[in-house]
Amino acid sequence: MLQLAGLAIARGGRTLLRDVDATFAPGTFTALMGANGVGKSSLLATMCGVLPPAAGAVTLEGADITALDARTRAQRMALVEPTEPALASMTVGDAVATARFPYHRWWEWQPSDADGAAVDDALQATELGALRERELGTLSAGERQRVWIAVALAQRARVIALDEPTTHLDLRFAIETLTLLRRLADDGTVVIAVLHMLEEAAAFADRVVIVGQERVLADGPPAQAFTPETLQTAYGITIEIEQRSGGLSFRRKAR
Amino acid sequence: MPLAALFALAVGGTTISPHDLFAAIVHPGSASDAATIVWSLRLPRIAIAATVGASLALAGTLMQALLRNPLIDPYITGVSSGAGAAIAIAVTLGVALAAVPALGFVAGLATAVSVAVLARRGSGLDAERLILAGVSISALMSAFVALALTRLAHGNASAEIIAWLAGSLSGRGWTDLAAAAPYAVSGAVLGIATIPALNVVRVGERRAATLGVDIARLQWILLAAAALLTAAAVALSGLVGFVGLIVPHLARRLVGADLRAGVPAALALGAALVIVADAASRALFAPLEIPLGVLLAFIGVPAFLYLYLRGTARTYA
Repeated sequence: MLQLAGLAIARGGRTLLRDVDATFAPGTFTALMGANGVGKSSLLATMCGVLPPAAGAVTLEGADITALDARTRAQRMALVEPTEPALASMTVGDAVATARFPYHRWWEWQPSDADGAAVDDALQATELGALRERELGTLSAGERQRVWIAVALAQRARVIALDEPTTHLDLRFAIETLTLLRRLADDGTVVIAVLHMLEEAAAFADRVVIVGQERVLADGPPAQAFTPETLQTAYGITIEIEQRSGGLSFRRKAR
Repeated sequence: MPLAALFALAVGGTTISPHDLFAAIVHPGSASDAATIVWSLRLPRIAIAATVGASLALAGTLMQALLRNPLIDPYITGVSSGAGAAIAIAVTLGVALAAVPALGFVAGLATAVSVAVLARRGSGLDAERLILAGVSISALMSAFVALALTRLAHGNASAEIIAWLAGSLSGRGWTDLAAAAPYAVSGAVLGIATIPALNVVRVGERRAATLGVDIARLQWILLAAAALLTAAAVALSGLVGFVGLIVPHLARRLVGADLRAGVPAALALGAALVIVADAASRALFAPLEIPLGVLLAFIGVPAFLYLYLRGTARTYA
């Protein structure tokens, strides 16, 4: 159980979010949504202990995550951020194997059988097995994105947070990645992903948190969180929402 | 490395034939000229050259990996410039020559601490600030050296300062090595212990933090390791450039980006390079010695440019 209590996020002296209270239970896939620059990525990084909160606390199973040592935190929480460059000459297999670092003490240099299995499973789940020996510098942006998702899978963490996991992915891999995340959630993982496409969130997430104007604008199942008023407040555009047999459908209202 | 050591045992102001060299090695107590040259003169220099080369190569490998910048060399820590300035001032003031290496060592470490304090951000170090602080402090220290050379030092003092700045193993022996070795070994142990964490930093510093690497602690340990290794090398040889810059590149080319293989390769290559360069510095214009730092710059600059400019691939993607 991941809990945010009175959490405030600030960057460069500017408050982005305040009074964020939320609980993320195992087995849920939450879509974190909102306009650019409202603090979604910072919220995600703060939840995972990478950035300090301006106020409030993040607890995982009752333990304040800022009090956990870095390795323990990494065993429990994985964060996928696509933008940071990595050494181009690293192979895909090497990159995914870094996920097992938190399971080793500093003098244990050789991978264990459990490490090998976790890396193999992650490569298979992201269909990267054939690219295992390829260098990161030779991959497309979409393939690299899958590598970082594979790293998070190989961490075998109870919480996986992903910042725009479908960015750079083609249609097939975008759908397969979201299906994979849905399956992880169904298997008991806490999945939280920053998504931009309303249809993706409605189809795969069972909860949507929309942030904007320094606060949580909506928090609930997609059918409840997505209202024209909330989307107007969050994005400044008018969206018509229709409930169909296949799920929610969204259309921008003509001006 | 063993081949480099054999080459350095045979070559120098006096060239020893393979037969005499073998006899000298298997009969260390022999009174022959070859045995005296091998055991009293060349072997200590080879050991010192290996220590200097391995220390600088390791420090360079660690700093390049930490700062994710292939153009970094260990002198970015400020150790060499601080040592150089202290030595220039000490020689000018007439401090006994025997005290100079120790003085350089202490001043080098003190300068590294100043650079680290300037580069501090939060609980860790900021890579950009570290580079800026290293370059700025080095420029300041170079000004002190220039002042000492142009306005204060006279006669022999100027020659002694220049000899230090040019880098040389001339006149060094087992005692010098015994004094510097504990610091080089401490730096090496600290640095080698961080290899698994540094391997993770290859995927990005922030990503490494989410994978369980305590970045601030890693930065301080590595800076301390690099400063100890560099200070030990500078105390033994004066300023020897390019080893810390070029050897990490060579090691990466040979064994790849995994530091579990890269660090042993850099240690061996660094040691071999300085052993051979020192032997060549003794032999090329014997009985005159070319300063080691000068010879390495002559070899190192074109080799580095070739390696770096030939590679067209991006370092980070």
